[in-house]
Amino acid sequence: MNIRRIIIAAIAILFVVSLKAQNVDISGFARTYEGVTFKDGDFAIIQQTLNLNFEKRGEKVAFKANPMIYTYNADSVYFTMREIYMDLYFDNFDLRLGKQQIVWGKADGVFITDIVSPLNLSEFLLPDFDEIRIGVIAAKLDYYIGSGTIEAILIPQFSPTIRPATNSIWYNEPSFPATPTFDWSNSEIAPSLANSEFFLKYSQMTSFVDFEIMGGYTWDDNPTMHVQKEFGMDTSTMPPKPYLKGLNIMPEHHRLTVGGGSFSSEIKGIILRGEAAYYNGKYFQTEDQNAVDAIVQKDYLNYVIGLDFNIGSVKMSTQFIQKYILDFDNKMIDDEINNMATFLIHYDMLRETLHLDLFSYVGITNNDALIRPKITYDFDDSFSILLGGNIFVGDEDGQFGQNKDNSMIYTKLKYNF
Amino acid sequence: MKTIKIIIVAVIVAASLSANAQMTGREIVENVYTRPTGDDQTSIMTMTLTNKSDQTRVRKIKQYSKDLGDIEKSIMFFMSPADVKNTSFMNWSYDNDKSDDQWIYLPALKRVKRISSDSKSDYFMGSDFTYDDLGDRKLDADAHKLLKEETVDNQECYVVESVSKDEDYMYSKTITWIRKDNYVGVKKEFYDEDDDLIKILSIKGIKQISGLWIVTHSEMKSVQKNHKTVIKLTDIKVNTGVSTSKFSERMMTRGI
Repeated sequence: MNIRRIIIAAIAILFVVSLKAQNVDISGFARTYEGVTFKDGDFAIIQQTLNLNFEKRGEKVAFKANPMIYTYNADSVYFTMREIYMDLYFDNFDLRLGKQQIVWGKADGVFITDIVSPLNLSEFLLPDFDEIRIGVIAAKLDYYIGSGTIEAILIPQFSPTIRPATNSIWYNEPSFPATPTFDWSNSEIAPSLANSEFFLKYSQMTSFVDFEIMGGYTWDDNPTMHVQKEFGMDTSTMPPKPYLKGLNIMPEHHRLTVGGGSFSSEIKGIILRGEAAYYNGKYFQTEDQNAVDAIVQKDYLNYVIGLDFNIGSVKMSTQFIQKYILDFDNKMIDDEINNMATFLIHYDMLRETLHLDLFSYVGITNNDALIRPKITYDFDDSFSILLGGNIFVGDEDGQFGQNKDNSMIYTKLKYNF
Repeated sequence: MKTIKIIIVAVIVAASLSANAQMTGREIVENVYTRPTGDDQTSIMTMTLTNKSDQTRVRKIKQYSKDLGDIEKSIMFFMSPADVKNTSFMNWSYDNDKSDDQWIYLPALKRVKRISSDSKSDYFMGSDFTYDDLGDRKLDADAHKLLKEETVDNQECYVVESVSKDEDYMYSKTITWIRKDNYVGVKKEFYDEDDDLIKILSIKGIKQISGLWIVTHSEMKSVQKNHKTVIKLTDIKVNTGVSTSKFSERMMTRGI
């Protein structure tokens, strides 16, 4: 096993040397990341990361590959090719082919129209936002008209949201009234033209306002849980009574049609941002006994409004986010309206070598929050150390409060090259 | 923040040449502000920050600017250090009272973000230059007064005091030494609200390129903090016909 690893490492080194010889630009970072939970002092995170960027840019073509290697705990290695694509540049349009991360919208830390690249939530919302998105294999065309851009995307292979593994501290086991049996056979989407995802966006950058208008014919990144009840007969009573013996759950992804837009503008030194999307045909869980598979199809609206401003040299940002289910019925599991807010305070000191940050998600509907203070010190232009906390508070029914036991302090040492 | 003209304007540049002793402070500074700087410029800026322990940090930036009449557009591509590599910054500034439009592209976030230009007193990348030092200043934002004439490095200079009309401005006054022969500022002192000297900008090198005077080497020293920043421009090109499309979201994300 060790010999195999040595050979792989040797091949990798030869590959890097070969690329360097061809003037391929190589950059990236090495990082060690450890987190200790407040509750029991366990090392919830022991992670080492090597991120490599290989880039070659020309007048007409460009290439990028971004492999990442994570090691967890003592010896668990996870490799991912986060991006690998080719760019072709023409007079009025650009074409990008390959695995790529695509980011849309104007919101920070919430995903309203930013639905092209799915999310990796295996570590909840804690990774940096560039690491939380999953690259998608796509063909992306950008066509430029004046200060506007039309962007068209075809994704032939669907990628769902990555959820925490069942042995992860971020896995929250749902409670069921009976023993569930999962059948994942319908959860795969075969890559085909009929199953492809399509996205279209028009964006414009002007002196007064930047805006985007988007539409998508996509798959719901989160599977719908089709639930079928299995009943038994309790013969210990007279007369015998039926009882809920088990649940057969079939996760299945469904099509979603999404339309929306976003804008950003400066008014007297304050940046006003907004973003909204209308989701058509989303399936929600319901307790309605008459509902087939315990699901009901509804449309919903998701929007955010935000402000960025400075008080002296302190940079601040706040957002209000609302999700509103149309034609709501009271038997649905979700709330009709879900309100959330985010707050960010950022301050640079000591000639931008010491950075103080406080970011927070506040679940207004669920009375819970995730508070993330951090302090970063740059020893030099390459090496930095970060000390931070992830503090979950509030109602345990909320997405943040349910992770109360995972509140932690963590540190990251990072070397950029 | 302004790109190529950064240093030029920071020091207070050029003017119509008239060694008329009757000139007022305002007329001298007006000549500085209206000195031709070309329709477009391209250069690589190397910024070296040195602290009191003589430790240095280096930032390297490729920059383009273009004067479109009422609007001046500029774009910067950060080449080093590694943690800001491929970041780009775009600024549109206007001749009228409209505040600048600014955008930043962070490669990690893969998104061009509009940012507030209301941070003029912040220091640019930890240097001794504030965003305001690096940008164009409106002629009548200050009251200008000719203090005296003096010789600096064998060059005859006007010495002009400029006092901001905005009481909240970060400097109570600046004093600039402006060469009589070409109206290039060669030295500038910055004072705080107590009239204490904060910083001294010294021009160490100027070069005539395509008939235009370009500051190629400057040093800003923070006297109270014993910290300095040296800016050198290399690969300077003037009036090469930089395309207007250079100053776009497309180029910010694509990079150099």
